[in-house]
Amino acid sequence: MKTPKTQFDFSRSILALAVLAAIGSAYAADDEVTRLTQPESTASAGLGGVTGNSKDRSIYGQYNGRRLDGSNFLLDVDYVKRDDALGLWTNFKGNNLGLDTQEMSFSQNRQGDWKYAVEYSELVRRDPRTINTGLVYAATTTPTVVSVSAAGAGRDIDLDLRRKAASLSAEKWLTSSLLFEASVKSENKEGARLSGIGVACSPLLTINCSSLSGAILLLPEPVSTTTKQFEARLNYSGDKFLVSGGYYGSFFSNANGSINPAISGNLYNPDGSVLDLSATPGSSLAGYLQQPVALPPDNQAQQLYVSGNYAFTKTTHATFKYSYTHATQNADFASVGLSGAPAGVSNLGGVMDSTLVQFGVTARPMTLLSMLANLRYEDKADKTPLALYNGAYTNDLNSSRKLNGKLEASYKLPDNYRATLGVDYATVHRDLPVPTAAVLNPAIPPLAGLREDTKEIGYRAELQRSMSETINASVAYMRSIRNGGSWLGIGPPNTTGNPSTDTYPMTMEDRTRNKVRLSADWTPINSLSLQFMLEGGSDIYASPTNKGLRESAMNSIGVDAAYAMSENWKLTGYINQSTQTLHVDHNVGYVAELEDVSTTLGLGAIGKVTTKLEVGGDLSLMDDTNHYKQSMATGAAIVGGGLPDVTYRMSRIKLYGKYAIQKNGNIRIDLVQQSVQFDEWTWGNNGTTFTYSDNSSVSMQQNQSVTFLGASYLYKFK
Amino acid sequence: MMSKLAAMECNRVIHSQVRNKKQSGEKMKSILKNLTLCSFMIVLGWMSASFAQNEPGTQNNDAAVVAPAKAQDTAPGASPVIAPASAVTEVSPVTPALPVPDTTPVALSVPMTRTEKDAVCTRCHDENEVKPMLAIYQTKHGVKADTRTPACQSCHGESKNHLSNRSAPDVLFGTRRGSSRAFAPSDATVQNEACLSCHKNDAKRSHWEGSTHQSRDVACASCHEVHNAHDKVRDKRDQPGVCFTCHKEQRAQINKPSHHPIPEGKMTCTDCHNPHGSVGPKLMKRDSVNDTCYACHMEKRGPFVHEHQPVSEDCTTCHNPHGTTAESMLKMRPPFLCNSCHTPHAPIQASLAGQTTAPSAISWLNSPTFTQGRGCLNCHTQVHGSNNPSSANPASQNLFR
Repeated sequence: MKTPKTQFDFSRSILALAVLAAIGSAYAADDEVTRLTQPESTASAGLGGVTGNSKDRSIYGQYNGRRLDGSNFLLDVDYVKRDDALGLWTNFKGNNLGLDTQEMSFSQNRQGDWKYAVEYSELVRRDPRTINTGLVYAATTTPTVVSVSAAGAGRDIDLDLRRKAASLSAEKWLTSSLLFEASVKSENKEGARLSGIGVACSPLLTINCSSLSGAILLLPEPVSTTTKQFEARLNYSGDKFLVSGGYYGSFFSNANGSINPAISGNLYNPDGSVLDLSATPGSSLAGYLQQPVALPPDNQAQQLYVSGNYAFTKTTHATFKYSYTHATQNADFASVGLSGAPAGVSNLGGVMDSTLVQFGVTARPMTLLSMLANLRYEDKADKTPLALYNGAYTNDLNSSRKLNGKLEASYKLPDNYRATLGVDYATVHRDLPVPTAAVLNPAIPPLAGLREDTKEIGYRAELQRSMSETINASVAYMRSIRNGGSWLGIGPPNTTGNPSTDTYPMTMEDRTRNKVRLSADWTPINSLSLQFMLEGGSDIYASPTNKGLRESAMNSIGVDAAYAMSENWKLTGYINQSTQTLHVDHNVGYVAELEDVSTTLGLGAIGKVTTKLEVGGDLSLMDDTNHYKQSMATGAAIVGGGLPDVTYRMSRIKLYGKYAIQKNGNIRIDLVQQSVQFDEWTWGNNGTTFTYSDNSSVSMQQNQSVTFLGASYLYKFK
Repeated sequence: MMSKLAAMECNRVIHSQVRNKKQSGEKMKSILKNLTLCSFMIVLGWMSASFAQNEPGTQNNDAAVVAPAKAQDTAPGASPVIAPASAVTEVSPVTPALPVPDTTPVALSVPMTRTEKDAVCTRCHDENEVKPMLAIYQTKHGVKADTRTPACQSCHGESKNHLSNRSAPDVLFGTRRGSSRAFAPSDATVQNEACLSCHKNDAKRSHWEGSTHQSRDVACASCHEVHNAHDKVRDKRDQPGVCFTCHKEQRAQINKPSHHPIPEGKMTCTDCHNPHGSVGPKLMKRDSVNDTCYACHMEKRGPFVHEHQPVSEDCTTCHNPHGTTAESMLKMRPPFLCNSCHTPHAPIQASLAGQTTAPSAISWLNSPTFTQGRGCLNCHTQVHGSNNPSSANPASQNLFR
């Protein structure tokens, strides 16, 4: 039941009207009406500070611009002006203006006629991990590897990626049914990301470094790229249809074409002994390590499309889309330092032409019955010319055709039941490797099996019931079966007289999927609502060897609650636990049982203490544990205990208070406390640091705790 | 005018108070207070009205908001019994705060201004609601110069019964969840028809019919707050909270250390998804998962001299874009992720530097090299594809460089 307004001592309307009456003029009424009906602008300014150093804040400050600086200005603006006579909106919005993650936009919009917007944004992603290295010219295209004596003996480097984007968009209603839209966006990305190279002295790969095993180097990838996107669309709408025709072009350019590492001095073996590069076989290894590494090439794609819908009747609709995309990649090899291209070939000349066709129909042939059918076909034709990039063998082509179909019917049964049945169908056809491709070279061990065709058919059934005005529940079951054609690549069993134990790709293996979902919404009293959710599912895989991923499962249970204690106080809460498991049979004699258990809990409250003071807060807790259980295929335990768990625990409290010091001005205080404990073995374990061949290492502070305190003044104006 | 308004408001509030059963002494005091205030207000209102009538240039309050009779209520969703558009004079949307002095059901067949039509509702529904009504005039639905903006009954229906006996209006929006409302909301289809009657001509919603949200009876008002000047789902910082009302798994995942900047307010769900329907799977904004990812990660697009087939097929084969505890939002740590498709190199289980079980301490071809650091990617660094044309070793066909 709606909270009776009469419980207030004075109706706010009466008060408002009393004030207006006391002032005694229509102008005053206009003021009050204006206050209630005119859009409001806000501007806020303040200061914020966060505790700790950059290592304490590496996860907290990953994206929010507060990793490096302990204090910053809090500046936000949201200016909205509406000219009622013209229907003209003018907006200026600025977020995080005191940070290096600032965003701002300016737009004008004559509603129903035209609009344009200019936007600028910055986003910095600071890698939460710190590199310790002796690298000279790190994160450039010409780094020089200089070993340090031990892990941690080098200098610390923090990597970041900075995106700066600017966009302009506009639209104009040419007639009441014809709309033209256009936009252009350019984004520049600078910085570096964690990367590296490794060389194994393997006769199998004809990398001959004699008795050496190889080396791995940490080489941050320098990033200096620009992406540009252009879109133009013409929409024509009538009473029964909408059709859009458009162009979308996206262009990528990279200022860096390759990394050309140099090595100064010697490297180290994993046991700490010196890996001498001054004479063979070390010098041979150094030669391999100093080969150029290709960076992402310039590429571009341009698309033309027609899309829209049509209403046959009020209850029968169709949707459709046709698009043709021409993507190319013709970045010059030599000019970016990549040699060794086949004679007469200066660039890949890559061409990928894609065609997409989609058609869907929805209908309600009867009041109680609704149906939908959808078909989607995508053809990717790789028209890249072949050349002898692998000596005697050529590059391969990557063409595919995908067909997805969907049928669904939903019927309202008596007693507020609703039943839904659905069928999903999906096929993928991947063209076989071209006859000249290296993958068919018997001398080269293939990296994975291939399957030309896979198809999957799934069935869904769902029963919903509205048991009362306050209880709704549903149960759904889904089953799908994927299988396909013959395998190619790594040998099927008995090709060499022995059963193969190779692994086949999980994306192509036969798979049987079962999934059940139960959910319910319950509003026991008007002020309390509850949501319950229970979900479980499993995937069973099968391949010619029954090696590789065999089974995976997931289970999830959760409850959400929202409670309105009064008109002034509202509480929310949730708890959710999910478990995912994978069972992998490795052909090399061991079994991996992976399990991820994730529990999250959240509590929130928001309330008005007085008419001037509003407070609120959220508590978020997360406990995520990845178990990496391994055992020998014989059933024996792994010697040494295997891998420890990876755990991530996070607690975050956000509190705020907002006090109205005047009718149009608030003081706001924000307090955030976040603690993180992240125990992973990726870069070290139990006191032993994983080191590269130059003793470079990577680390992150496992326990991080930060507190942010911000105070700002928010001014509201019309 | 003001005294009439005051009288109407007083009449409404006090009658409402009196109707409440079991009035306590405090409540009776409240009624007396309101009566006193009302009396004062009515007198002042009468005096000020008299003054205003004598003041040169002062207009009648109703007349002040009448716009030139050019704009028409052409909202396609308008109830057919509302006066024909040609007969409706455009009026500023600011007047609905002011109730009309008549409590009898309005004869909707009589041509009315849009303001008058709204006043049918606002004489009862005003700023005292749990969700104040008038904020809608601060939104795009309240732009008087836009002839397409609707009146209350354009969306809520004529609601004759509601006017006469306070039963449910014809169309009631939203969900019951977390609300304290007297009536159950209308079917999602009915709600959405009201919205789409105007918004169907937006290309971003061209594939609403048949979309997952549509077929699962998600109503527009399940996500949008039309009456609120601040529609959370259209605010970059608040939008994920709206989506997480249903998408619980993703709510948990974005709190993992490797995530897109969603909790930081730098990305939103709609940067990748079009909740109004799309041609792509999972309501992806572009035509496929990869096309959506390429909008920001175009360097992964290629085509490359040496491709990694699953990369060009579906980024989510290896990545969970909502968040994981493995770096780069990988679904699993290498070598386990890679070994889901590829045969491991050596007959050794995953182990760590310093463990006694790690064989070949002298060799980089050991288990820690496959397991720690970047795992398999320590050597196969170009996992998204290599554009290196060289056949010299280490061979780029194996995505080494």
